[in-house]
Amino acid sequence: MPARVIVTAADIAGLRRVAAAARTLDGVERVAALALTGDGVVLAPAAAAVDEVAAAVGGLADVVLACPGGGALRGDIWAAALTEAAAGGVDAVFLADAPAAREAAGRLSIALGAACASMCDEVAVDGDGALLVRRSVYGGVAAGTLRFGRSPAVCLFAAGVCEAPEAAPAPIEQRAAPAVPCDVVIVAEEAVEKTVDLPGARRVVSVGRGFQKADDLALAQPLVTALDAELGCSRPIAEDFKWLPKERLVGLTGSSVTADLYLALGISGQVQHLTGIRGARVVAAVNNDPRAPIVRNADYVIQADLYKVIPALLAALGGSP
Amino acid sequence: MRIIVCAKHVTDSTEIRWDDERGEVVLRNLPTKISDYERNAIEAAVVLKEQGEDVELEVVMVGGEAAVKTLKEAVAMGADKGHLVEGGWDDPFDPVRGARVLARAIEAIDDADLVMCGLVSEDGYNGITGAALAQLLERPYLAPVVAIEPGEEHVRATLDLGDVLRTVEAPLPCVLGIDSSMNVPRLPTVLQVMKVKGDRIGTLKLADLGLAPGALGELAGGVELAGLDSSAVERKRIVLEGAPDEAAAALVAALREEGVL
Repeated sequence: MPARVIVTAADIAGLRRVAAAARTLDGVERVAALALTGDGVVLAPAAAAVDEVAAAVGGLADVVLACPGGGALRGDIWAAALTEAAAGGVDAVFLADAPAAREAAGRLSIALGAACASMCDEVAVDGDGALLVRRSVYGGVAAGTLRFGRSPAVCLFAAGVCEAPEAAPAPIEQRAAPAVPCDVVIVAEEAVEKTVDLPGARRVVSVGRGFQKADDLALAQPLVTALDAELGCSRPIAEDFKWLPKERLVGLTGSSVTADLYLALGISGQVQHLTGIRGARVVAAVNNDPRAPIVRNADYVIQADLYKVIPALLAALGGSP
Repeated sequence: MRIIVCAKHVTDSTEIRWDDERGEVVLRNLPTKISDYERNAIEAAVVLKEQGEDVELEVVMVGGEAAVKTLKEAVAMGADKGHLVEGGWDDPFDPVRGARVLARAIEAIDDADLVMCGLVSEDGYNGITGAALAQLLERPYLAPVVAIEPGEEHVRATLDLGDVLRTVEAPLPCVLGIDSSMNVPRLPTVLQVMKVKGDRIGTLKLADLGLAPGALGELAGGVELAGLDSSAVERKRIVLEGAPDEAAAALVAALREEGVL
């Protein structure tokens, strides 16, 4: 039985996610939230943001441990701060997925001699009191249940959307961040403008290998505009051909959508892709191969050449073909 | 400079299917290969070897006899040597175990300036091994790496952190997690794979890893797969017939009906 749990994340959305997971467990006696604070640190760019952290874990955590990380968020400092927070005894540490969280989870697992599971969706406890996590396995072919044979458990949670609770904020305890010697120097930083929001989009038009060349992807744009959709793509387009940036990738190594409508154009529907569209309410697909897996995983299918269907769809939507 | 790339021998993930009748994942008799994401790591290392002088490049892979073919393919991409680690089955769901086996193998090979991994592996998609390895080897961990500039005693790398591209400089030795967007891995020809002679493939036995026979279990992280079920979402699978304009009109009508337009 995980009696003592620490929840931590690199941003408020992630913190709500892991806090929601911890809320589903019965018999948890004590939950602590760990927030790294300081300039440039994602979770809490200013001291005032610790209040936001306290609100996100309200009614769940009995304390927020606020450590001034200082400078950029570092996985090694995060892992060290978690190791210190775990010193009084801990059964599970829940982290929300992010690049620095992966480093923190990997380092922490070794430092604590803990078992580690990634891509966790849900947690539960079995009859013997062992922690169970559910995650997508084999590229999304199946859902697996992993059982922790020892404590502590380090669980890295897949992204998910969770509401903030209506509860009194948790009390905040300021702590000094552990000193971790580090010879890694930041030489330059360039902000990347985020223009794509696939997880939050209400409609997504996604392109796949059915498009014969990079220039042809432009054919999908009028449809994206007409549907007021976000443009997504499958793995070959982003990772193999690199016709579109990775931020447009839908699937296991990209984003998962929660859209009302997902329109797949020329996407065969490998499991890695299907994993990312599980949350879509209605899936429509245009594909000229009746044996493509997307056909069995869509609500509406047009089995025809996408080069002919796109203008027809535009006309049917009332736009110019 | 000495580079070690950790590459995983995996079942081709595009061939894995869920068997509805038996209620299990079909894994037997499927083709195996180098995990896609480690191909990117090998490619990045081969490019460093081509650009630099005196770069020695080795690949480590955990697995039994079945992994030899995969390891030869990895070496044929442009490595000097491959090491097959007798670590038994590389459990996709226990990244801590994988990292412990690899850390012992890397210490046995000795003197690596750069240890390079894929950001994830094609079987478990955990994204944990590189960081756990860095902790075990007490080295910095840089990820997700999209550009590398090696120096004498330092390495400069650009990390794609989503909202920011950060360029950092770390002292050697260190561990890098390579992002798949960094490159397009080369495919070795059948002839190139055949040319990888046995003397370029070494074996690290349990004793080389400092383990007594039967002591592999000590490296286990302590988590295991306890059950599987289908993750399929039931869809309507309605095929809209007719010429493109008819089918398109039917789709728009159906989507209006669903209330998603």
